[in-house]
Amino acid sequence: MADWNLLEKLCTARGISGREDEIRALILKEIKSCADEIKITPLGNIVAFKAGKQHPNTKLMISAHMDEVGLIVTHVTDEGLLKFETVGGIDRRILPGKSVTVEDGISGVIGVKPIHLLEKDQISKSVPLKDLYIDIGASSREEAESCVKPGDMVTFDSYFDRQGGMIMSKALDDRAGCALLIGMMKAQLKYDTVFVFAVQEEIGLKGARTAAFSVAPQAAIVVESTTAADVPGVEEDRQVCRLGKGPVISFMDKGTIYDREYYQLAFQAAEKAGVPCQAKQAVAGGNDAAAIHVSRAGVRTAAVSLPCRYLHAPFGMIAQEDYCSAGQLLIQYAEMIEERNAT
Amino acid sequence: MQELKELVFRLCKAGGTPGDESAAAAAAAQKFPGCAETHTDALGNLLAVMGDPKSKNHILLDAHLDQIGLVVTRIEKNGFLRADRCGGTDQRILPGTAVTVCGKEELHGIVCCMPPHLTGGDRDKVPAPDKMAVDIGLSREEAEKRVQPGDRILFRTEPKSLLGTRITAPGLDDRSSVAALIRCAQLLTEKPPRCRVTFLCSTREEVGGQGAVTGAYGADPSQAIAVDVGFAAQPGVEPEKCGKLGGGPMIGYAPVLNRGISEKLVLLAEKSKMPYKRDVMGEDTGTNSDDIAATRSGVPTGLVSIPLRYMHTPAEVVDLQDVENTARLLAAYIREAE
Repeated sequence: MADWNLLEKLCTARGISGREDEIRALILKEIKSCADEIKITPLGNIVAFKAGKQHPNTKLMISAHMDEVGLIVTHVTDEGLLKFETVGGIDRRILPGKSVTVEDGISGVIGVKPIHLLEKDQISKSVPLKDLYIDIGASSREEAESCVKPGDMVTFDSYFDRQGGMIMSKALDDRAGCALLIGMMKAQLKYDTVFVFAVQEEIGLKGARTAAFSVAPQAAIVVESTTAADVPGVEEDRQVCRLGKGPVISFMDKGTIYDREYYQLAFQAAEKAGVPCQAKQAVAGGNDAAAIHVSRAGVRTAAVSLPCRYLHAPFGMIAQEDYCSAGQLLIQYAEMIEERNAT
Repeated sequence: MQELKELVFRLCKAGGTPGDESAAAAAAAQKFPGCAETHTDALGNLLAVMGDPKSKNHILLDAHLDQIGLVVTRIEKNGFLRADRCGGTDQRILPGTAVTVCGKEELHGIVCCMPPHLTGGDRDKVPAPDKMAVDIGLSREEAEKRVQPGDRILFRTEPKSLLGTRITAPGLDDRSSVAALIRCAQLLTEKPPRCRVTFLCSTREEVGGQGAVTGAYGADPSQAIAVDVGFAAQPGVEPEKCGKLGGGPMIGYAPVLNRGISEKLVLLAEKSKMPYKRDVMGEDTGTNSDDIAATRSGVPTGLVSIPLRYMHTPAEVVDLQDVENTARLLAAYIREAE
């Protein structure tokens, strides 16, 4: 049975790219009793070594990223409102009217001009980022500056819900991946494995690039969340992947052509583990694999992703079943990568 | 101020979209102090009466109970809900918003937002509400057991304190005015007024004000003041068209409003040294006062508005100081009139 409380704790923790302190501390607490060695790299990645029953021939690194998308305060206006930029790829249409928290718990909302005062053609137009701001209730610049400054982190307010076999929460990308890694570390593994909890994925894979350099693995599995577009209005051939159909295996995305043998091996691993899995049916998106597979002299790399609706929005949705299947698949897959290479 | 905040939050947490205000009415009914009777009428209006029932001087104070939201129109074959506006919901705030579906049980949902790989060049457009869908993560079969067309959908955002005395919550339009009515009743409780006062928490304002039409007819007052929210200064809103958060109640001047009542409200605000703003409108006020003034053979009517930012979004903001001052102004008016 999956540890939903752990997933809730991880998703609720706040940490945009470059500000992963809280989530890092939480993960360290969770893994300290089951890791044999833990290192923090200069950029803040966690590199944790877990001894298995045997030493493998292939050094395998399994990686998930800790950071989440959010906003960053850039300027305080004379009226005491906060201007901001997005951190990570956020569609600006999800921003108006959202509830947010700035830095150490200052509450705010993202305001827009009332609908009553809009010109007719503005009603269905998205609001440009430059016209959006965060209102923390300050009545002057001085009042706002007493508790907020440029560079402060902003995260979406969210809930963690389990309903009808689904999970709805913020930051499932990629705290769900982190939770899967922690779940693996808490189990008895057959082979030694290096687990990486990477920083700064959302702004250009800086964490994974440097973590892969310091680990110098021969094989890598990136555990991610990927766009599921199985929603009304999207034709079947553009849905990429579907909730409830199992973890998603990528052959290619915008950043990586995945190792072909490992790609095929993943389906065999799923079959052996008795869980469903699906191919990612689009060349879209990208993840830490793009940085990892070109590390040093090259790393044979695979990606196992959870299908997730509404990626990079305040609330995503994954299927509990897919999460559990991914956990089982990863254990089997890691073993098969070693055993395949050994023969 | 803490007590007032708790009252506003409690009223906001009890949802009520147009035509489905019973939860909000029940939350408000529990809180009216010193009223001999509270009752609801055929359209769901909540009426609370105070003072001398025989007095010819009968003042009606109105605030509307309902808030904007969505209404379920259809359940898709994959279990997604199709919905449309219930009141003047701003479609620009819908994508990615958390909602509560008020079906046979309360369900959590997310308004679908566009998958990033499909949004290529059309990020400038926000689809109309009836083109969006609400994801409750259930199969059609499971969804149909719990939800049916006509069920309402509310924004699921927790009320929050901002800096100072400012707060945010969905539904502050117009629960902050309902709170002002309740607070006004509290202020009057110690010495019940010699005139007759009816507090009308009216339904369906966001779809046309049908509650106020029938509520005012039923109450048959000799004069009335409608209390609603007004635009507060914010970027993109012309200063001459709005009040200001913390700037006190906005006292309405409009052709349909009784000038004597407007003047008296200004005088009372000045006497009590509270901030206020003359809120001048050349045409309709867009509030219940338009209908109340035209009830039966006509009712002299005033309008007081609480300044509010981001109207018709889940991120509405008011300053509690303005709610308190509005309540004090109304209480002073009744004391003066009795």
